[in-house]
Amino acid sequence: MSEVKLVVQRFDPFTDAKPRQAEYVVPTREGMTVLDALLYARDYIDHSIALRFSCRQASCGSCGMKINGRPRLACYTQVNELKGERIVAQPLDNFAIIKDLVTDLESFFVKHKQLMPYLLRSDGQEMEHPTAEYLMKPDELEKVLQFTYCIKCGLCTSSCPTVAMDEKFPGPQAMAQAYRYLMDERDEGGERRLEALDTAHGVWRCHFAGSCSSVCPKGVDPALGIQLLRRHVLSGKAPRKQGEGAKVWSAATAPHK
Amino acid sequence: MKESKLMLVQYATAVVAVALVAVHLVMQGVISPYSTNIAFSNILSIYRNWGYAIFLEALLVVVLVHGFNGLRIILHEMRQTAPWSRWVDMGTVAAIVVSVAYGSRTIILAIFGGVTA
Repeated sequence: MSEVKLVVQRFDPFTDAKPRQAEYVVPTREGMTVLDALLYARDYIDHSIALRFSCRQASCGSCGMKINGRPRLACYTQVNELKGERIVAQPLDNFAIIKDLVTDLESFFVKHKQLMPYLLRSDGQEMEHPTAEYLMKPDELEKVLQFTYCIKCGLCTSSCPTVAMDEKFPGPQAMAQAYRYLMDERDEGGERRLEALDTAHGVWRCHFAGSCSSVCPKGVDPALGIQLLRRHVLSGKAPRKQGEGAKVWSAATAPHK
Repeated sequence: MKESKLMLVQYATAVVAVALVAVHLVMQGVISPYSTNIAFSNILSIYRNWGYAIFLEALLVVVLVHGFNGLRIILHEMRQTAPWSRWVDMGTVAAIVVSVAYGSRTIILAIFGGVTA
């Protein structure tokens, strides 16, 4: 049975002055992920290793961490693909460390909420008490589809050099979602969205390093979303105004009666 | 002014600056040799040509606006407190105004005889 040396960054802000590296030798098997290796180390070698995980299938985004220096999902990274006898696991950059590999994503979700990741519409009654679904055409869905794949794992924000410098910068995830809702034909809040992005620490501070897009485990291209957002912010024109969003699906408006 | 307008100014001044600097370099380094143009009497004659004086004033304004606006952006990224942002914005405007005034003073003095060979 082959083995791999797992180096885990350990740090408890309540007791440690600075992070330290702990090494664990873990037996490997075909198809083993880094998360499996970490769980083996935690279950059989050192119970005090702190890590966050849930779905184990790259759906929940909980196990984001830096693996061999690159932000990745531990459950989506196989030990074999790293091609080395040593795997280094560290917490994500740009977030405060709660303990070991667990980071505090509070600021990440606060910024996500600030850019209103939900439909803004004028028909409040229908929103509160829906009678049917809002109609969305396939070609309109195509414009935003890749951005709907975001699982909010924080890898893009962790890799962003501007987030590292500017704590008010919303980050690639939040802005990609802003674009996703701006272009959603059911949304009517474009003007509010553009206003929220057009600030000294908003959409213009992206340097287009592109690291967000290269680390996304779901194939989302946040850098593209940010560049497309800039075009709308620069023109100051929202794709739709109040009352121009997609209408409620009904027997009368159904396209396939 | 909205950030998008400031960025539009930044992009526009970048494009215009490239064109103006290119013309300036061609005029002063290619059409006639640089060693001749750097002579003090030649510089005065360039300033006293109204067309070129206006060109130099435009170059001065465009480059200073682009440069100081770029510096403003860098300074905004360095710190994010409200007082810092306010000082950076006000400092940028002041720096542009003072620099344009000083540069314009040189051009105006040269045109109206305040500087002699």
